[in-house]
Amino acid sequence: MSKSKKKKKNKFLFELGLEEIPADMISPALRQMCQGFEKRLEEACIDHGSIRPFASPRRLAFLVEDLLDHQPEREEVVLGPSQSVAYDEQKKPTRAVEGFARKGGVAVADLELVETPKGNYVAYRKKIPGKSLSEVLQEVLPQVLTSIYWPKNMYWRESRFRFIRPLRWCLALLNDEVLPFEFEGLKAGNTTRGHRLLGEPEIKVLRVDDYLDQLRQNYVLADIEERRAKIAAEMKEVTPKGLHISSDPHLLETVVHLNEYPTVICGSFSEGFLKLPQEVLTTVMRHHQKYFSVVNEAEEIQSYFLTVINTSGDPEGKIQKGHEKVLRARLEDSAFFWKADRKKRLEERVEDLDLILFQEKLGTYRAKTERLRTFCSGLSEDPHLDTAALLCKTDLTSDMVREFSGLQGVMGGLYAREDGYPEEVWKAIYEHYQPVSLEDASPSTPLGALLSIADKLDTVVGCFAIDIVPTGSSDPFALRRQAQGLVKVLLDHQLDYSLSHLVELAQKNFPAETKDKKVSEQVLNFLKGRVRYIFQEKGIPYDVLNAVLAVEIRGVYDAYQRAQSLAGIRTDKDFEALAIAYKRTKNILSKQSIELSAVSQENLIDPEERALFRAYTDIKPKVDNNLETGDYVAALKQIAGLRKTVDQFFDKVLVMTKEEKLRQNRLRLLHDISQLFLRIADISEIVQEENQG
Amino acid sequence: MKTFQEITHHLLEYWMHYGCIIQQPYDIEVGAGTMHPETFFRVLGSQPYKVAYVQPSRRPADGRYGENPNRVYRHYQLQVILKPSPDDVQDIYLESLRKLGIPLEQHDLRFEEDNWEAPTLGAWGIGWQVLLDGMEITQFTYFQQTGGLDLMPISVELTYGLERIATFLADKESVFDLPWNRELTYGQVKQREEYEFSKYSFEVADIGMLFELFDLYEKESLRCLEEDCVLPAYDYCLKCSHTFNLLDSRGAISVTQRVGIIGRVRSLALKIAKQYVQKQEEKEEQISV
Repeated sequence: MSKSKKKKKNKFLFELGLEEIPADMISPALRQMCQGFEKRLEEACIDHGSIRPFASPRRLAFLVEDLLDHQPEREEVVLGPSQSVAYDEQKKPTRAVEGFARKGGVAVADLELVETPKGNYVAYRKKIPGKSLSEVLQEVLPQVLTSIYWPKNMYWRESRFRFIRPLRWCLALLNDEVLPFEFEGLKAGNTTRGHRLLGEPEIKVLRVDDYLDQLRQNYVLADIEERRAKIAAEMKEVTPKGLHISSDPHLLETVVHLNEYPTVICGSFSEGFLKLPQEVLTTVMRHHQKYFSVVNEAEEIQSYFLTVINTSGDPEGKIQKGHEKVLRARLEDSAFFWKADRKKRLEERVEDLDLILFQEKLGTYRAKTERLRTFCSGLSEDPHLDTAALLCKTDLTSDMVREFSGLQGVMGGLYAREDGYPEEVWKAIYEHYQPVSLEDASPSTPLGALLSIADKLDTVVGCFAIDIVPTGSSDPFALRRQAQGLVKVLLDHQLDYSLSHLVELAQKNFPAETKDKKVSEQVLNFLKGRVRYIFQEKGIPYDVLNAVLAVEIRGVYDAYQRAQSLAGIRTDKDFEALAIAYKRTKNILSKQSIELSAVSQENLIDPEERALFRAYTDIKPKVDNNLETGDYVAALKQIAGLRKTVDQFFDKVLVMTKEEKLRQNRLRLLHDISQLFLRIADISEIVQEENQG
Repeated sequence: MKTFQEITHHLLEYWMHYGCIIQQPYDIEVGAGTMHPETFFRVLGSQPYKVAYVQPSRRPADGRYGENPNRVYRHYQLQVILKPSPDDVQDIYLESLRKLGIPLEQHDLRFEEDNWEAPTLGAWGIGWQVLLDGMEITQFTYFQQTGGLDLMPISVELTYGLERIATFLADKESVFDLPWNRELTYGQVKQREEYEFSKYSFEVADIGMLFELFDLYEKESLRCLEEDCVLPAYDYCLKCSHTFNLLDSRGAISVTQRVGIIGRVRSLALKIAKQYVQKQEEKEEQISV
């Protein structure tokens, strides 16, 4: 069959209808569905055009065009008896092979011999016709759907099948015809459903090409980008003149997936509430109501909000009024908290921390506060840092934080400012939970950075001490996130505390029974793992990471600089060759006992070893100097310059000579050279380009 | 305009016509409609069931002396359990709102992810909060576990916040301004109760006595189980739960104790659920033999 004949243009439209999927889960699921489908089409050798994804809260869908009609025909080799069984001594076919040919419907003369690891076998080739597109789709779709990963599944019917929310309908159209297909009790058809309140409950889709339009007429914008564009345009339209919304990409993404037919309206609240801190206003609007705050050019919050509603409009302003009412109640609550909380100064709240438990075995927040103070005093003598450490947890006793836990730290900072503490203090408190993720910013001030490190490390060390250790499936204290935050702060503030020093400092503050030596080792390994993760996220290749982390981490920032320098030079030809040479050296050294002492010049007899020694003594002070100033690139370049001399050394000099004196001397020389770069990385970990996967 | 009692009445009527048993509130203090035995026990096991009832729900820590327009010590939940969950349950639910006279087409209605959990009952489910113009009016849950037991068939639980729906319909700012009937407001009926129970929960309740009661209730619940009186055991479990809530609002429970006490109530609930199902299965076997 010629290729052009096969290329009929088939279209396939698929829609899975569900009850409302959580907004944040739609994108990942849709991506998995489309990629999974594409992968399986490719495995089935079905040529296809691009896949267009669609989704709304109640559906996951896609459209593929230019699908191949059939799988291409393929050939299978059917093995029969072995050569010795198939033919007798006169090379005549035996009954066994005749039977085999008959069964396969081929003539004995058409059989061939095939070589296998077990010897030669008689065989014939069988043409297997490709399956039709329809068959392939029926086979592939259930696999695709069941392999979508959902963070939290549910049961809803007796079949023990779990999905994110109940499945309610399924539309599958192959060139406008229903694909005979059934999934978990749902029979595919050609009906879809419109907007819950504004659209038809059942819509017959007769032509694949009409799908989007028909849905649009029924108030469902299944094209995600169309919804995004509608929201963006209307936001501009309804925002009061001269103002703009405070940018919030995550919230925007959420509302795009929260509505089948998004419409943006603008509401307002009483200006009296503007006396509340901006952070409080934003939190109330964002977290509870998913509203966007409106700000002026100076980014100061205004008494308006934008909300995205799931309907076509609000001609009478009823919906707006409803939202305003809900917001007002929430703001009144917050205004009450803001007023009540400030009646008690933060320093008066320190004692109340005795009542709030941090962790059963690790004591109250009061105890944690004292640990933080001791830890901080080990890092800096700044009295402002001590004050900040003393007060940083007191906002946990405030009504505002009890209501909006996401405002912890922020409220403490604001209340400290209200109490009249200097900026160093209140900002350190304000930012000490930061960064809450790798995308979040580290604290902006030096004291904030120290307090953040103290807080996070205290939690990590404390939890490890009482055996709360993150596992694959559980990490109740979010220790991974805490440790990552800690590493990020060290990096962002270019702090070079050694990790072991920090861990030791944190561990000192816990009761004796938790000060197991093993704990600090565990914590250090855990932190190293996080360092590795973050460096990877920053684009450091894994072998560079292995090389850098194989030697002691003096400071995280230092390690990062070493990694970057190494990543920069690794493709350098001289360096690559040197890495190979070092691998050899390491191998030799690991098998030999060396009596460490200075290389003796007298015992260097071959010209190549003398040359290497000269080259080494020549660069050593320069490398030392480079390492001193942290110029790892220069140091590595110096070392890479040894390449030729090293190569010649290995070519001409027999390290493992029988003469003990000479051998020891050569080993010492190699050892000294290794020591040069072992302060940067163990470059034997570097994988050569062609070996990389 | 519909009064508070009319709303309650219309909703019960709607579910009665749908085929639900109309039950009465449970006569022991509970924090939520879910704690009513008509939910706790009926969702266990294989027997189909449909039930609706109003449950006054006491939350001592939510009391505000009748001064906060949105928070009360005791509010009213209207609870519906449909077991197994019908395929068109969302439509059936929306129809109940239409029956109340809410022109849904003119409003912003959303099902937003909200997975419900009651640690003291070992119960959780998957579902949404239903938002009407930004106000949460219903919790909609597909029960997955109760008393720590996997459920099958799956029940759906609808919990209407009656005060919320009423303030929406009456367009009032404060629950206390809602018309209870044509003559009296919610405030006129409830203000004193709100004040006194708030005062009791925050200032007056005898902490020592409550701790003693908690221990007694717990002991009695366990004793009931030994005597195969599962339903009475559950009554005492509920009493433990309410006693805990009172102690909590009284500020008498440190965080350390908190985890422990929740654990004790939960452990009762788990035992009760297990024993209930066991007995139920034995009974079913006897019948089938």
